[in-house]
Amino acid sequence: MPAPPYEQDNFIERIGGTRRTRFTKHVLLCLTGAVMLYPLAWLVSSSVKPALLIFKDLSLWPAEWDLGNYSDGWNALGQPFSVYLVNSLIIVVLGIVGNLVSCSLAAYGFARLRFTGRKLFFTLMLGTMMLPGHVLLVPQYIVFAKLGWLNTYYPLLVPHFLATNAFYIFLMVQFMRALPQELDDAARIDGCGPFRTFWKVIMPLCLPAFATTAIFTFISVWNEFFGPLLYLTDDELYTVPLALRQFIDSEGQAHWGEMFAMSFLSLAPVIGFFIAGQKYLVKGIATTGLK
Amino acid sequence: MTGTTAGPALVAGPAAQTPPPAPPAKRRQDRAGYLFLLPWFVGMLFTVIPFFASLYLAFTDYNLLTPPRWTGLANFREMLGDPLLHQALKVTFIYTFVSVPLSLAAALGVAMLLSRGVRGLPVYRAVFYLPSLLGGSVAIVLLWKYIFGLDGIVNGLLGWFGIEGPAWTADPDHALTTLIVLHIWTFGSPMVIFLAGLRQIPVMYYEAAAIDGASRWRRFRSITLPLLSPIIFFNLIQSLISSFQTFTQGFVMSNGTGGPANSTLFYNLYLYQKGFSQFDMGYASAMAWMLLVIIAAFTALNFLAAKYWVHYDN
Amino acid sequence: MTDHPARAGRAAPSRRDLMRMAGLSALGLGPAGCGRGFGGGGGGGGDGVQLTMVWWGDVERAKKTQAALAIFQKQNPGVTVKTEFQDSGPYKDKLATRFAAGDPPDLMAMRTDSLREYADRGALLDLTQHKDAVDVSALSEGARSLAAVDGKSYGIPAGLNSVAFVVNKAVTDKYGVKIPDGDTWSWEDLAAFGRAVTKASGKKVYGVNFETFNVGYLDVFIRQRGEDFYTAQGALGVTEGSITAWFEMIQRMRADGGFPPAGFIEDVGTSPEQSYQAKGLIAATIIPTNTFLVNNKACGGNLVMLRMPGETQGERRGQSIGCPHLWSIAAASKHPNEALKLLNFLINDTEGAKTTGTTRGVPSNSQVADAIKPRLERDDQVATDFLIDLQKEKLPPSYLHPPGSTKIVANLKTVAAEVEYKRRTPAQAAQAIIADGRKALGE
Repeated sequence: MPAPPYEQDNFIERIGGTRRTRFTKHVLLCLTGAVMLYPLAWLVSSSVKPALLIFKDLSLWPAEWDLGNYSDGWNALGQPFSVYLVNSLIIVVLGIVGNLVSCSLAAYGFARLRFTGRKLFFTLMLGTMMLPGHVLLVPQYIVFAKLGWLNTYYPLLVPHFLATNAFYIFLMVQFMRALPQELDDAARIDGCGPFRTFWKVIMPLCLPAFATTAIFTFISVWNEFFGPLLYLTDDELYTVPLALRQFIDSEGQAHWGEMFAMSFLSLAPVIGFFIAGQKYLVKGIATTGLK
Repeated sequence: MTGTTAGPALVAGPAAQTPPPAPPAKRRQDRAGYLFLLPWFVGMLFTVIPFFASLYLAFTDYNLLTPPRWTGLANFREMLGDPLLHQALKVTFIYTFVSVPLSLAAALGVAMLLSRGVRGLPVYRAVFYLPSLLGGSVAIVLLWKYIFGLDGIVNGLLGWFGIEGPAWTADPDHALTTLIVLHIWTFGSPMVIFLAGLRQIPVMYYEAAAIDGASRWRRFRSITLPLLSPIIFFNLIQSLISSFQTFTQGFVMSNGTGGPANSTLFYNLYLYQKGFSQFDMGYASAMAWMLLVIIAAFTALNFLAAKYWVHYDN
Repeated sequence: MTDHPARAGRAAPSRRDLMRMAGLSALGLGPAGCGRGFGGGGGGGGDGVQLTMVWWGDVERAKKTQAALAIFQKQNPGVTVKTEFQDSGPYKDKLATRFAAGDPPDLMAMRTDSLREYADRGALLDLTQHKDAVDVSALSEGARSLAAVDGKSYGIPAGLNSVAFVVNKAVTDKYGVKIPDGDTWSWEDLAAFGRAVTKASGKKVYGVNFETFNVGYLDVFIRQRGEDFYTAQGALGVTEGSITAWFEMIQRMRADGGFPPAGFIEDVGTSPEQSYQAKGLIAATIIPTNTFLVNNKACGGNLVMLRMPGETQGERRGQSIGCPHLWSIAAASKHPNEALKLLNFLINDTEGAKTTGTTRGVPSNSQVADAIKPRLERDDQVATDFLIDLQKEKLPPSYLHPPGSTKIVANLKTVAAEVEYKRRTPAQAAQAIIADGRKALGE
């Protein structure tokens, strides 16, 4: 993949060191990269091994191939695996939209506006990150049951549209606070209200924070297990993590090969999204320039 | 429902102290602020009810199956003399104070390396981020056990140097170490945030510094560090909170037991055992609120300290 | 093995499937994606009764159970059964949450060690009040009383099992070690066998390994000494002496090589493919009898099943009949009559049992067990015969775990690891288990 020719990258690379230090840097990065990649390689190789060999033969190159894991795994469960993938994608896409909209609004309020009770609300928001989720499960379940939302996607989605994940608000607040205050002042002098300032000035400069939020939301929603476990009962609504768990049970013959095959398939969208999204990680002030 | 009785009274607290009539400009600011926070306010309803329900439950004997019974401070008194709780605190503190600095240092270091326009940057970034994608999955935890097993790769490498390694994950003296390594290995998330933050720093500062002939260390100290400080601060707070709340890795690694011999009994794992395995949700709720107080204390300390090192542009 | 790469081509997702998938996901935002999961589906089928039934297990078990339920629904028009299953860990969490929210399933699989947590708090239906609806006459006395608490009964075994030693014959043949006679062997014979395998293989294979913290295994040893881990009243019946003897025996076996050294065995879960026996590192281990088929498959069909050692030397028999799953009905069920009907079907219907086989252990109705036996795979027949034979003998009963026992189980595992790493002596371990156990049971 040819790297986009950022002028300032070349500039920074020039001040980044001599040729020799750059070479050692690459060697270092490659070595670390190998350590990072090993588990994925193992996962892939396990997905094409016959079940009995997975734990006997830990080598990366399978001694015996069994591509049947993919076709069997695809059709092994109550629904074809595509159903679970689509379900997960629906929840993920809506979850990302919800998080981006609601959290960025709240974050702008906290970061740039001076309203009464700001500190108190900010503290409250941080406080919601600090209570272990397990003790909230039962009361939350009761609330959603009272709303008649069991066995629907609402309990998994509505919270995202209501900025209940303080992590992302806090993340965006920190990014917005790092932006120079003169931006707002200049916008105000130009006659922009808070909404225009948010939309025209702050938002474009916070693309990296938005990309980070989108990527993190994708991953956490895609992997979420407890919520879907509690709230979904129909097999046809299940998400990928719920489906993956159906391959293994300690009392039966666990279908490890199929589980690994489907795990790998379900990783593909996440990796794809990361690769697609990461170019926005670098669209900060540094690239858009500051007038 | 259990919590609603306690809920409204406490929620009403801040709203009750309405300030005296404010000047119009101030009111406009207020109105805009509340409008931006509107979704969040509605969302707080969903958050606050379960929140105060659990606060109420902390003062009860609640087994999930029969209605909670008010017991006052009994749960908290029991916590004082619970050796497993003390073990859980010890495990969690060690884990947090070792793995948070190390993983943040790794994340910042690699982000610095990568931000300097390395050739093939997108590939590296994706590769380093991979472990965070795989982190808590069952498959990876299994692999981890094989890597750190008595005859695993790690001991194989140590063998080259003539060191006979222990059974890392089965030995109570070493099991926590492997979890710390696992945590550091997933430094990808803070790294991504650092990378995004580094991009926010205007290049003109570096250009100016280069003209002045500032050394690399100097540029790092006086440009990168201060301008990145809000992001470092975020990562620090976030890592602290999440590692105090570590659950999944410990859970999957020990099949939910916190073993071997309670050496990986994280606070949240013990809380979960109490609530869902031993049907003592009252005690679990009390534990949850104690953890909230501990985390809040550390967070507050950090916010106080932040005045001295975090640089905001206002 | 049937690993033809060509096979993948047929059923694997084609490119067009993938395209369609991508299209669908895009539509997820549009009108087509709404509906499923967004409260669109009409709930329940009009005037009929809908039962919810939940259990733990994998997809294989689910398919077999669905087939049986199809028969039930044909026999009982107007009753539909909505099912759900998870693997055992998440199952337990969701079940507890549903009970807490006042939304329990009608019929559910229950473990013997958590039954009393629910039953003692009035969450389950007392089945002795409904003797006419559920026929238990074909169950053995032992099976009938498995879920009894103070003369009441809160569950019926979905299947029966016991524990047994399995020895990999391929290993013993290779190293020329004789497998002891499983009907008469003693714990000393076991130790000698383990030693012999380890020695003959030059430590490539260790003779014996089993979970030293497993209450089910420990209980056999304890019953042979005339005690019960938990008494009929749910008190702690085991003495320090017996627990000390158990750990000392294991420590001796570890010291003379028959048992693998500390740290050799990783706690990687209990699925057969992951077992150290299947990997060829252990010759003999203990398993629940209902997993014989899958374990034997994982070991290439070389397993020989033996009874537990010490059965002819102890004060009394140690083996007893247990059950991996009970069926229970929620006290709050809105349709108790239909739920009872379903329960009766699950226990007594031969046609239904033919489809489920022994996925939950040997059917507790012995006539049903005899009837389905010819249809079973050979390994399941072996396990079924083992259990049918055991039931004919005079065995001590096994008692339900009292509330609070989860803590004891957890503590036993902790202490066993401490003994393994010599942080505690067997005597100290026994002392700790008894002291903490008494506290956990409120004694």
